[in-house]
Amino acid sequence: MTRNALAASRSPDAARLTDGVTRPAPIHIVVNGQPVPCYPGETVATALLAAGVQVFRRTAGGQPRAPVCNMGVCFDCLVGIDGRTNQRSCMVRVTDGLQIEVADDEDKS
Amino acid sequence: MMKTNPETARHDLIVVGAGPAGLSAALTAARYGLKVVVVDEQHDAGGQVFRQSPRSFEARPNAALRTYPFGAELLAQARNAPGIEWRFGSVAWGVFHGADDGRVKLAVSGDEQSCLFEGRHLLVATGAYDLPVAFPGWTLPGVMSAGGAQTFIKSQHLRPGKRYVLAGSHPLLLVLAEQLLDAGAEVLEVAIARPRPGFGELLSHLKALSGHAGLIGQLGKTLARLRAAGVPLRFGTMVSRAEGTDTLQQVVLTDVDADWTPIAGTERTLRADSLAIGYGLLASTELARQAGCEVRWAPAEGGWIVRHDARMRTNVKGVLVAGEPAGVGGAELAHLQGRLAGLTAVDEVIGGAMPAVGHEAAHEAVALERAATEASIRAARGFTDSVVRFFAPRLDALANLAAGDTLVCRCEEVTADTVRGFIADNEHVSDVNSVKLACRTGMGFCQGRYCQHTTAHLLAQARGRDVSELGVFRAQVPVKPVPLASIAALKLPD
Repeated sequence: MTRNALAASRSPDAARLTDGVTRPAPIHIVVNGQPVPCYPGETVATALLAAGVQVFRRTAGGQPRAPVCNMGVCFDCLVGIDGRTNQRSCMVRVTDGLQIEVADDEDKS
Repeated sequence: MMKTNPETARHDLIVVGAGPAGLSAALTAARYGLKVVVVDEQHDAGGQVFRQSPRSFEARPNAALRTYPFGAELLAQARNAPGIEWRFGSVAWGVFHGADDGRVKLAVSGDEQSCLFEGRHLLVATGAYDLPVAFPGWTLPGVMSAGGAQTFIKSQHLRPGKRYVLAGSHPLLLVLAEQLLDAGAEVLEVAIARPRPGFGELLSHLKALSGHAGLIGQLGKTLARLRAAGVPLRFGTMVSRAEGTDTLQQVVLTDVDADWTPIAGTERTLRADSLAIGYGLLASTELARQAGCEVRWAPAEGGWIVRHDARMRTNVKGVLVAGEPAGVGGAELAHLQGRLAGLTAVDEVIGGAMPAVGHEAAHEAVALERAATEASIRAARGFTDSVVRFFAPRLDALANLAAGDTLVCRCEEVTADTVRGFIADNEHVSDVNSVKLACRTGMGFCQGRYCQHTTAHLLAQARGRDVSELGVFRAQVPVKPVPLASIAALKLPD
């Protein structure tokens, strides 16, 4: 399991806001094989950040990348989605059971 | 598998972009009975400025709707508009012209299908994006655009990060600072590059501010909120670099002079997990440029912007432009320009200067509406121009932030040294496209959106020439990456 995907011990800097918003019942996406709770209407990028994922992908040169523009322009939030590589996670909404592949940081540690 | 609609769908007006400009054009045209389709990559109407919460959430409306009351009306009308076809979650990636009938064709791909829309008019209302600034460390996770951080908060109700530094020169930064505070983040500093405005300068802008009391009041409240929270707002301060292993750990800020040149010995380091960058906006003109629209260099208005006439027509027959690609001017101007563009499309259908039989009343109504809209645009212009001048980014100074090993092109990982080296070794090169071909800046996923202007400024500095003389990256089909299958699936005109 990736260090940054789901480490429960680590409190993520990102947080879902609760003031003034009511979310529907949660669903799960599957990130590198592990279930991650999220809410219908969220984008994959949101679900990953909320789960504490900090590195979404690595470049050919090994550099870490994560969302920058959150509007489909920067292409740095690319992840694998349901077997398709290099999908913009900020543009795709979560669905139950959606399979996500993010950078595996085991290699780095 | 990719499904393709073999029938080309015919419309009077195809709109790309469901922000204020696109919505306003679509609603105007539909009101006169035109057949309209609106294409947008997002999942709902509003564009970036009015980006809404997911429909599955119960949330208070986007705060921008309080600043721009017309926005709520646009969204409400859009929800209930008969006669408008919506294609959300869809990428518009190429404009083609049929030799046969003079109609404009637009290639669009969604998740499951791609299709070719055919229209009498195409409106490019593709908005703008945050100006990318290539400073050392700008690719580190935790460094975001101000707009990116803001849309996570306001539409996804997610606070991405906890301890923030904000650096830039755009008023959006102040709005973001307040939203971050409301979201429970720590805002360590708001660093504004321009010098603190003097009394005389403020006075010269006051004239333009009349009629925008709501906006000014909002800004006053925001400043008070920052003061109360003890957030330092420092002018003459710019980002120097971002540092960290794998993720952002600290931000180095520096004092700058009036030309945004760093002052030696003034660097300060702040420990932060997030850095939001807001030095301005770049107009999204790729689709317009691919369509063949002429652009002009207007650095204070979003870089290369699309030339147009008073009716929002470009040089390409049937292609209209409105909003930020026509010159960054904000939501109010965009929505008025969108209406003008919509009226231009209506005019064509009802017979222009020679109204077709049965259209005389509509023709008169269009003329009246156009005159009223043009008057509103003149009124809005004073304010917009003033704001644009006041906050204009110093693109030359920003390009100087790149150190030798800083990536100019994030996608293809091309450093400033590589670009500067190529420019130095090839004295005859005087066009950004030559740099692109040789260095691969602009040949990656984002297709130059993030490196075009840094590349251009490095070339301009080396040659001692103005950016306007060095060309603009060619925009090619597809203007955004789409699966090969969706290109193959369409019978594209030659």
